Amino acid sequence: MSDTKTRFERLVALCAGTDAAAWLAATAGGLGRDGLERLCGAYTAAAVRVGRMPVAPTVAAHPDLAPASPAPTLERWTADDAARAVLLLSAAEAMSSDGFVDAATACYERGDSREQQSWLRALALLPDAGRFLGLAIDACRTNIVPLFEAIACENPYPARFFPERNFNQMVLKALFNSIALARIVGLPSRLNAELSRMAGDYAAERRAAGRTVPADIGMAMHQSTSLQS
Amino acid sequence: MKIFDPHVHMTSRTTDDYEAMAAGGIVAIVEPAFWLGQPRTMAGSFVDYFNSLIGWERFRASQFGIRHFCTIGLNPKEANNARLAAEVLALLPRYLNKEGVVAIGEIGFDDQTDAEEATFTKQLELAREFNLPVLIHTPHRDKKRGTERSIEVVRKVGFPEERVLVDHNNEETLPIVLASRCWAGHTIYPNTKMDERRMAVLVKKYGADRIIVNSAADWGISDPLKVVKAIAVMREEGIPDATIEQIVWNNPVAFFSQSGRLDVADVEARPAIDRTRKFETNSVLRGEQAR
Repeated sequence: MSDTKTRFERLVALCAGTDAAAWLAATAGGLGRDGLERLCGAYTAAAVRVGRMPVAPTVAAHPDLAPASPAPTLERWTADDAARAVLLLSAAEAMSSDGFVDAATACYERGDSREQQSWLRALALLPDAGRFLGLAIDACRTNIVPLFEAIACENPYPARFFPERNFNQMVLKALFNSIALARIVGLPSRLNAELSRMAGDYAAERRAAGRTVPADIGMAMHQSTSLQS
Repeated sequence: MKIFDPHVHMTSRTTDDYEAMAAGGIVAIVEPAFWLGQPRTMAGSFVDYFNSLIGWERFRASQFGIRHFCTIGLNPKEANNARLAAEVLALLPRYLNKEGVVAIGEIGFDDQTDAEEATFTKQLELAREFNLPVLIHTPHRDKKRGTERSIEVVRKVGFPEERVLVDHNNEETLPIVLASRCWAGHTIYPNTKMDERRMAVLVKKYGADRIIVNSAADWGISDPLKVVKAIAVMREEGIPDATIEQIVWNNPVAFFSQSGRLDVADVEARPAIDRTRKFETNSVLRGEQAR
């Protein structure tokens, strides 16, 4: 049994109570080999069954419940996010590898915006998470800012898996949407010359339009690239 | 002054918008095919969308005295879904011969990926085959590089530049487009892209040759009267009416008439409103009496 899964099961029990925990245990245990439809249904139902209580206070009181690093930070997670992570981790254990990829993909593609956010938040915790790279990159194309934040912020997945071009586009989109670059996990380790150039061009474009330049744009640039103001 | 808004996504707008646009002087519009704010998951969604652009929306515009043309194409964002892109590209030829279709678009770059470039290239080849001009969307992010790359792709394919409208320009990209033989579109948005004042500055600096403005109004924060408002600001800034008229009428008409499907004399006259007409038994009246 995955350690992360156990921690999240306890987290759900503490946040959402024993009825919610019992529902989750029964549902996660019953996914079986052909559980695509059951997974998708339970994934949606988690919001109603478990609720949306923020998990941060519980994690603060029980630091051992946070997943081992490198993992997403749980500051913005709610109980249904944790329950959905348990469902995906259970499906990964119960299904064949191909079956799991199909089920997890359906879970994302059929999901509403909140379900997709839960999915993206938990992505780095899934076994062999690199196989979902295409969906993660596609998620960055959304116009729904909370959905974009779910992949781009407090999430170790992009720094670990994104090719340079996609990582750079994500950083630029964060700037474009006034999202603090400090929220992008692993940004300092992924800085590159092309990103510095793109950030510099963006600053020039903003100035030419008579607009302000984001104060933290320097975080997207190598220290040697000085920002002319 | 007659106005041609060469880029406005009317499927996202209301009948109030149509009424205000007609009252503001807008006589004809082009509605480019684009994405819908969230990704489509199957090609069938494109069939329905394209059908609405050449069908219901065209009829709806006519009910408010506005002539509606459209462009058909696979936008760069959704070009990144390989399965979907292949299916949609296969659908395009059927639509490119339809009445009211005056260009292929919006095509070009979003994230500037290899998949986007391949889809862009294929659609330039289709435009050549169907003798249509193209409307190029330039990206929000890394825009200057994206504009340069778009023109590079046009040249690589050997597509005639005078049949290309490069859209959403700003101070940084306009000189690049004017240095080519492509036309330069400008989207006047409330908060992003270009605004009316900056547009007037650009017109004073560069003149009216190959310059076009549009509202690109859609489902986001945008305004279908932005071309009307840009005219007012250009006048305030002392730009002569003849220059303004070239930008808001002559240029877009000249560009899209290269399709051979937009009759210059015909488009001059506002279509008469006949609300007794129906589209496949549907009207816009919702039970009201035709006036």
